[in-house]
Amino acid sequence: MLIRLSGGRVIDPANGRDGIGDIWIRDDRIVEPAAGETPDMVYDVTGKIVMAGAIDIHSHIAGGNVNTARLLLPENHRAHVARPAATPLSTAGWSTFETGCRYAAMGYTTVIEPAVPPHLALHSHLELADIPIIDKGTLSVLGNDDFLLSLIRDGAGPAAIADYVGATLNASKGIGVKCINAGAAMAFKHNVRSFNLDDVVPAYNLSSRAIVEALQQAVMDLGIPHPLHLHTNNLGIGGNVETALATIAAARGKPLHLAHLQFYSYGKEGKRGFSSAAAELAEAVNANANVTVDVGQVMFRQTVTISMDVLRQFNAMGTASPKKSVIYDGDANGGGIVPFNYRSNNFYNAVQWASGLELFLLINDPMRVFFSTDHPNGAPYTTYPDLFALIMSREARASWLADLPQAAVEMTTLPSLTREYSFYDIAMMTRVAPSKLLGLRDRGHLSPGALADVAIYHDDPDRAAMFRFAHLVFKDGDLVIRDGRVTHYRFGRALKVSPTYDSAIDRRLSTYYDDVYGISPDLFKVPVEALGRENPFGEVACGR
Amino acid sequence: MKILVDGAAAPLEAAAAEAARLLEQAKLPLIAGLAADIAGARAAIALAERLRGAYDHMYSEFLLRDLDVMRQSGQFVTTANEVRVRADCVVLIGAKLKTAWPDMLARLDLSNPARFDEAHAPRKIFWLGANPGDAEEAGAVKIAAPSSELPILLAALRASVAGRKTRPDAHIDGKLADLAVQLQAARFGVIVWSSESVGRLTIEMIQGLLLDLNKKTRFTGLPVGAAGNVTGVGQASGWMTGFPMRTGFGRGYPEHDTWRFEANRLVDSGEADVAMWISAYGNEAPRWKREVPYVAITTPETQFAYPPKVRIDVGTPGVDHDAVEYVQNLMTLAATDARSASDAPQVASVIRLIDEHLTKGEGAC
Repeated sequence: MLIRLSGGRVIDPANGRDGIGDIWIRDDRIVEPAAGETPDMVYDVTGKIVMAGAIDIHSHIAGGNVNTARLLLPENHRAHVARPAATPLSTAGWSTFETGCRYAAMGYTTVIEPAVPPHLALHSHLELADIPIIDKGTLSVLGNDDFLLSLIRDGAGPAAIADYVGATLNASKGIGVKCINAGAAMAFKHNVRSFNLDDVVPAYNLSSRAIVEALQQAVMDLGIPHPLHLHTNNLGIGGNVETALATIAAARGKPLHLAHLQFYSYGKEGKRGFSSAAAELAEAVNANANVTVDVGQVMFRQTVTISMDVLRQFNAMGTASPKKSVIYDGDANGGGIVPFNYRSNNFYNAVQWASGLELFLLINDPMRVFFSTDHPNGAPYTTYPDLFALIMSREARASWLADLPQAAVEMTTLPSLTREYSFYDIAMMTRVAPSKLLGLRDRGHLSPGALADVAIYHDDPDRAAMFRFAHLVFKDGDLVIRDGRVTHYRFGRALKVSPTYDSAIDRRLSTYYDDVYGISPDLFKVPVEALGRENPFGEVACGR
Repeated sequence: MKILVDGAAAPLEAAAAEAARLLEQAKLPLIAGLAADIAGARAAIALAERLRGAYDHMYSEFLLRDLDVMRQSGQFVTTANEVRVRADCVVLIGAKLKTAWPDMLARLDLSNPARFDEAHAPRKIFWLGANPGDAEEAGAVKIAAPSSELPILLAALRASVAGRKTRPDAHIDGKLADLAVQLQAARFGVIVWSSESVGRLTIEMIQGLLLDLNKKTRFTGLPVGAAGNVTGVGQASGWMTGFPMRTGFGRGYPEHDTWRFEANRLVDSGEADVAMWISAYGNEAPRWKREVPYVAITTPETQFAYPPKVRIDVGTPGVDHDAVEYVQNLMTLAATDARSASDAPQVASVIRLIDEHLTKGEGAC
């Protein structure tokens, strides 16, 4: 099948391209213009915006905690539209099927689920297998597990730690490693109620900092493209910008991804002791080229916070709305589900909203700041179109700002910020940068040879409308969205890495599991056949 | 392995075609039983959606006791592994815990101190409302109580832990004074119950007690799931539709209503006019009272009160074939290898075959 997308404005920053032109697709790949050949299909996309498919690096779309949140909040996701004949369950509110459809409708073709406890990997992958259209990937969570903490405490050395991380990634079929409030879930099991970067996990005499450093090194040693993905300490607390700055310093120039930075951008100014310190934080990010961040923007609406930072979630139970939370002390990890309603007339929520936008606008390099709402923690991914509109237009921001409490606005620099993202910046942030960060060389750009993941938008001055419903979306060269509606299902793959490591660690782990848990680690395996889809996995190359 | 249409042996294709015909001409087809592995449950829920029918599980009632408390007021929960390695204080509640979870005592290793308990002292174990002999076997302090008395007992315990005055009741106070002290002294305590043997009010009291205890120390819960992979099916239902079982698609989108879509009520009221009964784990037959025509996808020894229109025997997940199911020992979905692999058909493949014979719509799985 040869397809020609004719006459659109092609925005492909990986190739320095922003201009009118054609894109050619043969089967599942982008190809050079096929001179002398008649395409099987020609789409006239004159006046439209043509980009590679977008990639979301941080969105909680699947797994045990997400599913608990669904079951906790039946009142939040009532469906009200009958399903179209060809796409079953696509309108079932918050179903895996709906997730794939709505992401694809926005022009997203790859989404990473960033919090998979290794023992719950099969459940996560089963859910991902039921998300249609898009490709997926998972980050395996380490940093609160006895085996790792013991290795570090006992001075086992970086090679042993890397072997363990490699074995865990292989078994759980992840694309990278996440660390969530290192040591805090373990400390919480010892009844610790707050946990800072240099606080020490009881019984291990190990600081959060030491755990992060060890994991950061292991990820580098294994040659995993994605740097350690870190959810650091003290999320959501006034004055926690100090923690974020200390975490950036603790990276010591080595690659580190800081997740949902907005939730760490708070100072202690003002009579409420809560202000935006985003400007200071953005400056630190600008000055440290080894650090990448995603924003975790807050948007005003009802949502639910789903986090493996169980200590933080326990402390947030009092803010639950509606008033019900789940606190989970899991194997070597934890989790908390706390429903939350961000309100525009709430001082704290307004400061949070503004500080996220400040980070977008004050971090200079769109290759190092990633577009996220930490779905659904800051807001559901379905608010992305509104957020695109906000970062693209100071006018749009001004009209939102006018509705916020003045006291909150005074705690931020947002009204003074005039920057507006261009389409080129947006494509850089949501296409080029994620492909580089995750090591996905086959996507994020429109070079010949790339996977034919292409999103084509109407150039609608209402940017939110434009990004909510793409005109056309191709996944692997297959037209899946036409004018915002899914045409048919296809099922993508979960992208994973297979780092090499010394398999002696597998035998050691077998002995350890038998000794400690009385079971085999094989019980937590993720067999390909169990997922019920053809080719459910795709491989991402490792290498230093 | 029997394949029968109206009691007579038939080829699988013909049986599937007849099942499809029967289901498709129904006004409200019901998928019930639903005791299947994850693949079977996914296929069955997708079929219900395509048919615009409703689905329920034979043990939904038990799952919903835990879920209803959770979605009303929240939940503290942990895993068997964490109890095994960490719990210094264990409170077992209810009479049928060991029936619901035969491996419990060995899996939780209650006779040994918890490996990661810093004091490494013998565990403090209590059993409220135990069966005769159970508490002794578990090395537990026995607090006798009939099931009906458990909510009151737990309410008094909760009041006592919270430092509130309780109505003086020597009968209850004597039993609970020591327990209240021990709970508050725990470092990482756990309460274990099975929704098969305790009611919603008991579970609500357990969760309230956990909330109160966590103000000062760490305490959490370990729910024991019911049979028929009901917990696993509930998970698949959650990600596929957003809701647990007792969900219907009559309007073209999922609606969840624990009364409206209860299988026996749907049949007995005449609302459901054709049913499919799935029972791959045991030889369970439907318990509805009205004689609705039905398709049975069950294990070979199942005895029915009245014969199904179509009967297709299937193997048992994890025995006849590899399967994904909820594993209580792990508190999550796990891949189980066939213990004695056979070529018996699987629920998922039978449903897919039926699905292929439908003329309207398109299936999800």
